[in-house]
Order: sequence, then C-alpha cells, then structure tokens
Amino acid sequence: MFILFIFLLSQFASAAPPVIEKQQNIVIPVINSANQQDTISRNGLSAIFKMRLLRWNDGSAVTVFVLNDDDPLHKQFCKQILNVFPHQMRRNWDKLVFSGSGQAPILVESKEEMIEKIEKTPGSVGYLNLSDLTNGIKRLDIK
Amino acid sequence: MYAGKFNLNNLTRLLICNVVVITPFISSNAIAAEKNWLPELPDTVQIHGFLSQALIHTSDNNFFGTTDDNISDDFRELGINGSWRIIPDLQIAMQVVWRDAGKTDEQGLRIDYGLADYRLYSSEDSLLGIKAGRVPTPLGLYNDTRDVASTRPSIFLPQSIYFDINRNSALSADGGYFYGEQNTDWGDFSFNVGIVVPRSDDPDLTAQLAKNIQAYGDTSWISRLNYEWRGGEVRLAITYAEFNAHFSPIPAPIKFNEGQFQFKPLIFSAQYNAEKWSLTGEYEFRGQRLNNFGLFPDSDTTGEGYYLQGIYKFTSYVEGMVRYDQLIWDKDDKHGDKFSANTGAPAYSRFAKDWTVGLRFKLIPGLLLSTEYHRINGTGTISRLENPPGATKQHWDLYAIMLSYDF
Repeated sequence: MFILFIFLLSQFASAAPPVIEKQQNIVIPVINSANQQDTISRNGLSAIFKMRLLRWNDGSAVTVFVLNDDDPLHKQFCKQILNVFPHQMRRNWDKLVFSGSGQAPILVESKEEMIEKIEKTPGSVGYLNLSDLTNGIKRLDIK
Repeated sequence: MYAGKFNLNNLTRLLICNVVVITPFISSNAIAAEKNWLPELPDTVQIHGFLSQALIHTSDNNFFGTTDDNISDDFRELGINGSWRIIPDLQIAMQVVWRDAGKTDEQGLRIDYGLADYRLYSSEDSLLGIKAGRVPTPLGLYNDTRDVASTRPSIFLPQSIYFDINRNSALSADGGYFYGEQNTDWGDFSFNVGIVVPRSDDPDLTAQLAKNIQAYGDTSWISRLNYEWRGGEVRLAITYAEFNAHFSPIPAPIKFNEGQFQFKPLIFSAQYNAEKWSLTGEYEFRGQRLNNFGLFPDSDTTGEGYYLQGIYKFTSYVEGMVRYDQLIWDKDDKHGDKFSANTGAPAYSRFAKDWTVGLRFKLIPGLLLSTEYHRINGTGTISRLENPPGATKQHWDLYAIMLSYDF
C-alpha cells in the first residue's frame, strides 16, 4: 500500500515538470534591461509593434525586432499577446513602408539573433519565451 | 490563334530580363541577400522595393498593351524607396517607380512620393501628425499602396473604385496633410485631411477629351475617416474628395476657353478579416463636372462603382479570390443609351461589369505568382489610346498572370 502510494506520488511528481515547462514556453514581450520602463498598457504595446509609438515614456527611441511572418513564435506573439493575425501586422507595416509614412520593424532570423540584438541595442523591444530571458534582457509587463 | 502571333523572341527576352532582375533578390535566402548587397545601414535608414511583370491576354479589346488575340508583356512595375527616421518624430521618405502599362503609362521613371512626416504629438493611445511633399492619396482601402502588387488583392484592383487608366492622378498628389489616430477600448479611429494639387501625368486623361490639350491640376482637397476593430479584423472607411483640374490647348498664346474639370468621389469601404478568409466591399459615388470647354456642352454627371470581394486562404501559400465589380459612368444613363444616341459611341462603353476569379501562390517569402480570369460586360474601363473607336466588343475575357517580388 505504502509502495503504491510512493509510486503514485512519484507519478504525480513526474507529471509536474511539464506544467513548469509550459510556463517556460509562454511568449512575453521583452526589452533591453537598461530600459527605465517596466510596464506598458496593452494599447501601448500594440502601438509599438504597429510602429506607431516610437518613443518610450522617458522620450528615448524605440527599436522593434521581429521574427519572420511564418515563425511559430511570431504567430504565437501576434495571436496571444497582440490579439491580431500575423497578416494584419504585415498589412500595417506594408502600408507604412510603401506609403512613406513609417518604417517596418527590423527582421531577425532566429531567436538567438533576437536575444543578441536586444541585449546590445538600447531601447529595443521584441518577444521571447519566458525561459530565454538573460541578464541583458528583461520582461516588459502589460498593465 | 494568338500563339502564332506571339513572338518567341519576346518571351525569351522577357524571361531573361526577369531572371536577371529577380535572381539577386531571391538567392536562397532573401534576407541574407538583402543584407549582402546593401551597405551597412544605420537602424534609422531603410530601403525597400518591389518589382512585377505580367502577361496579359484578352479575347477582344486591349488592356495594358496589345492584348487582343495576343499575349502582351507590356505591364511591369519596378520601385525602390528609402526612408530615414532622423529623430523618432521626423521621417523623410521617397519612392521612385518605373512603370509601363501599355499606352496608358509609358513615361517610365517617376517619383511616386517624396515627403516629410512630422509627429506633433504621440502617446500610447493617440497620435497627431503632419506630412507634406508628394504624398500618397488616402482613398478607400487600397489606394495608399496600390503600386505594390503584394498589397493588392489581385493583379488588377477593382476598376470601379481604382480606375487604373488614371493611376498616376489617383496615386499621389503634391500638398500637405494633417492626420491623427485615437485608440480606444471600442477600436481605433483615424483621419486624414489634405490640401493638394493633383498630378496630371496620365496620357489618357487628356486624350479622353480632345487632341492637343494639356491638363493642369488645381487646388483640391481630400478627407478620409477610418475605423478599425481588433487591429483590423473589421475595417471601415469613408472617403470624400474634390479634385480640380483645368485644360488648355497646347499651342496657347492666349488662354481662352480653358475647360475646367471636377471629380468628387465619395467612397464607403468595409472589410472583415478572419484568419482564413476575408470579405471586402466598397461603394463609390463618382461626381464629375466639365465646364467651359467650348468643344462640347457643360456636363454634370454622377457615376457609381462598387465591388464585393471574397478571399479564402487554402494554406499559408495558396489563396483564392472571387469578385464582382461594376462601374457605371452615369447613373441617369445606366445602359449608355442616351450617350450612344448623342455621340454615336457604343452604349456599352459607359459601363463595365466584371466577374473575376483569381488564384495566388506565395512561392517563397516576398515572391508571389498571381493568376486571374475576368469575364467583362462593357468597355467602361479600357483606354481609348489602346482601343480605336469602332474596334471594341461588348463581352470580353481577360486572362493575366503576374510574378511579383517585394522586400
């Protein structure tokens, strides 16, 4: 009976890691850790990724990094955090770029490049999995 | 039948031209290639561009080239733009385009826009700005970027609203705009108001009226209100503009009998975007006035145009489109009978009813292959420059295929 209890407990315990792993896999907006700002409104975050809001609260310039339209992390970020489909973001950027009223975000090719660019670019913003946070990168909380 | 007339050399030339132009852009990885051939640019400078080449065939009537019983390669677009965000609130940008569209556009190189854009105020929820120079004209849903194939839903935009024969006059104008945006919990509202002088560099614009006259743009104004719900899941817009121009005979020592022309479009636009499909409709009242030409009596007519368009994405690489598009030049003479009785021209030249189906393939990121078929009743959307009087047919088919790339 005791052995069975231990067995069940161990089963239960081994079932726990996937939950943590799942949390590690959520996508979050991230910024260069030197940024004074820690939080932003949901509208503000949308405005930043739509390339409409170009300054942080302290007036410094925003630099936006994104992955390819077809990248799973990009799709996840658009749908879960920005509540839009990737093709809606693309249409917004195309409109800015091809009508001269704005610029597109800077494209990075991999999550590794995203980490590298955000670590070394002051005022930068992008998105990563929770498990990818490094010393040079901090989470941007949505108010 | 047309196969015999189609020159093989033409096809070879076209293929070579396309391969030479496109290859540098699409070598295995478009992004890497872009970085290689561009010098290292600061993050505040961006270069983007596009190119396209179409093949068009029609059963009757010519559209963008000698397409009647022939395959024409006479429609191509090539553009490059640069922007520099000098400080976050100030950007300058310019786009240079080379375009050829049969006899309706043979001028080659032109500046489609060249402007400075300054933000007077911006916050997380709102934005106010001004822009001046040669600015893309905010008309309906598609006009602002209509020269870029990938931003159009099809090879040809619905002609009832985006009349391609006068593409340059519609695309952009010289002047200034005041614009703003407000994001609320119920959606995003934005507006554009501008005072401009229209471009008058479309060959067909003057040819429609008489020979040997020159068109000049006069002070005009444009306004558009937009509403977007959930980042563009629902998009609504109302556009109203008054375009003014006058015409003078080319050998004109004394400017007498200068004709005035006024075009007043009022456009209602609506679009719904789901993940896999979208539905779009636009309706336009087209007020047109001609005064003091002397050659013919003054006229004041109201036309109407509308289309309804559905797009379905089968996969992320293939999408299909169906559209009905209708243009009527004069609402009081829908079938053109009065016009025909007065002028002797065919009644069917006063309307165009166009059923279109299209398929589009995303070959690699940025590279699109578009195909479409039109069944058209009426010749209201074709150019007189390409279609001499008496040579047109009422019912005709149009087939088009286009390869386009943008970065």
